[in-house]
Amino acid sequence: MTRQLLMSVVAGLVLAFAASLPAQEAVAPDADAASRDQFRQLDQDVQSLKKEVLDLNRDLFLLEEELLFPANSQVAFFVSMDVGEYFKLDSVSLKIDGKEVANYLYTDREAGSLLRGGVHRVHMANLKTGGHELVAIFTGQGPQSREYRRGATLNFSKGIGAKYLELEITDRVKKQQPEFVIKEWE
Amino acid sequence: MVTARAIVACCCLVLALLAPAAPARADKDGPAPIVVKEPHYGEILFYFYQEDYFPAIVRVLAAQQQGQLSAHAAEAELLKGGLYLSYGHHLEAADVFERLLADNVNPEIRDRTWFFLAKIWRQRGYLDKAQRALDNIGEDLPEDVEREARMLQAQLLIDGGDYDRAIAMLGDWKGRTEWSRYAQFNLGVALVRSGRVDEAKKILEELGGIDPWNEELTSLRDKANLALGYALLQSGQPHAAKMPLQRVRLEGPFSNKALLGVGWADAELDSYQRALVPWMELRGRDLLDPAVQESMLAIPYALAKLDSISQAADHYLNAVEAFYEESGRIDRTIGHIESGRFFDEFLTDDPLDSTGWYWRMQSLPEGPEARYLFHLLATHEFQEGLKNYRDLNYLWQNLDRWQQSVDVYANMLETRRLAFEERLPRVQETLARADIDGMVQRKLEFDALLNDIEQSGDWLALATEREFELWGEITGVEKTPALAADIPEAEEVRDKIRLLKGVLQWGLEKDFRERLSRIRRDLLETGEALVETQRARRQVDDSMQRQPDTFRTFDDRVYGLEPRVETLKMRVGDAMAEQRAFLQAIAVGELQAQQRRLDTYTVQARFALAAIYDRAATVTEAAVK
Repeated sequence: MTRQLLMSVVAGLVLAFAASLPAQEAVAPDADAASRDQFRQLDQDVQSLKKEVLDLNRDLFLLEEELLFPANSQVAFFVSMDVGEYFKLDSVSLKIDGKEVANYLYTDREAGSLLRGGVHRVHMANLKTGGHELVAIFTGQGPQSREYRRGATLNFSKGIGAKYLELEITDRVKKQQPEFVIKEWE
Repeated sequence: MVTARAIVACCCLVLALLAPAAPARADKDGPAPIVVKEPHYGEILFYFYQEDYFPAIVRVLAAQQQGQLSAHAAEAELLKGGLYLSYGHHLEAADVFERLLADNVNPEIRDRTWFFLAKIWRQRGYLDKAQRALDNIGEDLPEDVEREARMLQAQLLIDGGDYDRAIAMLGDWKGRTEWSRYAQFNLGVALVRSGRVDEAKKILEELGGIDPWNEELTSLRDKANLALGYALLQSGQPHAAKMPLQRVRLEGPFSNKALLGVGWADAELDSYQRALVPWMELRGRDLLDPAVQESMLAIPYALAKLDSISQAADHYLNAVEAFYEESGRIDRTIGHIESGRFFDEFLTDDPLDSTGWYWRMQSLPEGPEARYLFHLLATHEFQEGLKNYRDLNYLWQNLDRWQQSVDVYANMLETRRLAFEERLPRVQETLARADIDGMVQRKLEFDALLNDIEQSGDWLALATEREFELWGEITGVEKTPALAADIPEAEEVRDKIRLLKGVLQWGLEKDFRERLSRIRRDLLETGEALVETQRARRQVDDSMQRQPDTFRTFDDRVYGLEPRVETLKMRVGDAMAEQRAFLQAIAVGELQAQQRRLDTYTVQARFALAAIYDRAATVTEAAVK
């Protein structure tokens, strides 16, 4: 046995070193072209399936909404936050005409998303045309991390066509308190 | 109308997507937070900020189809492109961006987007597309990204075997940043691959002597020293090889190979005693590393050279046994992978809480195979293949959930149809009884009557029932014959009656206008209510007429979607099987390569052992003679 024979394996491995990017390995220099072609073919199939499944999801999403909440009776309730310095949202519960219809507990990730400008559709309902009363109870942590529970009420009229209501949490800087407002989305 | 300000804000969002390491930049220096004008746009952002790209894209597509994003149309399209990218749907993302980037889009966004696409495409092996994307980049990339783009270009040239252009490009690299070190290294790679080893040595020599300021550069220095050391060893310069090899850290990913190399350098210089020092250090390390495996043969080789024949034979025997056991473990691992269980465990362990291109698998499911495959995680093909496999699993689960929902919708539709058919005759009967036209006719008659009363000033017509009775009683009493007598008592009663009549008439005349207005108002409201009732009636008639069509449309949609879900689910299942087979082939190929290496070492060990036995036998034979 010669030392050359022994050394060949590891030396070969070392000298086949690849081009470098920080924190990223390169395409293996000896990457088999056939394998790369196979990967690309599979990837193209996956891309095409993703597109088809996304389109199907869109159609199903719309079907679900139209079936469960026809436009004429649909009312959607959205929660939004502005700034959020004085309030950390834990949950929102909704009562429509005295009946509790939703009780939503927010994860940190969801609350964070609201803070960055996301708007959460917390509930959808079918309501008859005419007057209705919405009561929303917000719970969470207020200034100085104190338990905080506040309500807001809105009497609104449901006409023909979908209606969107916004439950908005804002900061009242002067009072250093959060403010809870329900309004109709124009 | 979408303002330029809003577009800029959205661009910042997309920038954040394209540079996830620096999202704070967009937040702090960005022009303004996005003003959400439509709840559906805000809802998309809600999912986007949680990195739930799939539901975010579905909502964009649905809202666009429903025309619910008119106030955010341009931003939504840009965001959609970014979401596709983040979700790893790069071909669709490219379509969106190619459309958008042709318009007047912020140049930095345009260049970053092309850069990002180039990066994804190179990782996924679309080298032609990656090159085209790089060609589209203008001069608006920030400096750090521009350097990375240049490096990507050089790597594409190396990938494509165009070493001369890569060398020219990398040799021209200006500046003394971290990137210049990577450029140097890649220049060394290109030189070695183009056969210009001597030039490469100079580059690696310089790189091997740098004073690194971070872990990545330290690792790069180790890599350069290792490559240089082995290149010198191979070109018969063991003495020169030692220095770079000794510069490699003792505890790092390249230390095993460096220790082995130092040993070989000493062995080349016939210092077998010294060579044993680094090789013995390797004995306690992971046998999976080829350097450790090789050291198991190098040690007895040195011992034999030092005439410790019996010890050498023991070490060869140990090596053969260790290689045999390792080979057995690899066999079992190959069996486990080929059974498909390994990738099932991978999916079971995966929480599926995030999807997309940024996801990287950091560790494999626990088990004996993890140690063999760990370094595969660093390769693009395996990582990207795993991402696809994971995404396909997400799609499959998604379709599975929808399949169940579609069944529920079909039942719901059937129940509604039955309820409609059951209620329809009752509703029709009730409607037939409601004489709305008669009510309208009566209302018109009231209008005419009221007009007459007003024109004639007939205040008595608007009297209340009680007042009318009172008026009747008074006029009745007035007509009593006895009151016609010309006597003082009768005169007194007539006066009282006149007074009563006068008071009553005065009151009625006084209230006449107000009563008239009130009745007019009531009639007006009645008229409006009747119009509303007529409208509602038309709607009910219309609904009753349209409902069967609505049911048919829903039927078509629900029953049309059912086979679509089913077919897609099957295709996704097939694609998963193909992807799994591909990953299995990579993993098994890797394991078989390890096994072949062990086989080679085993043959070498047996050969050396046979030589030792042969030598011993010859010596014994000679002694006997």
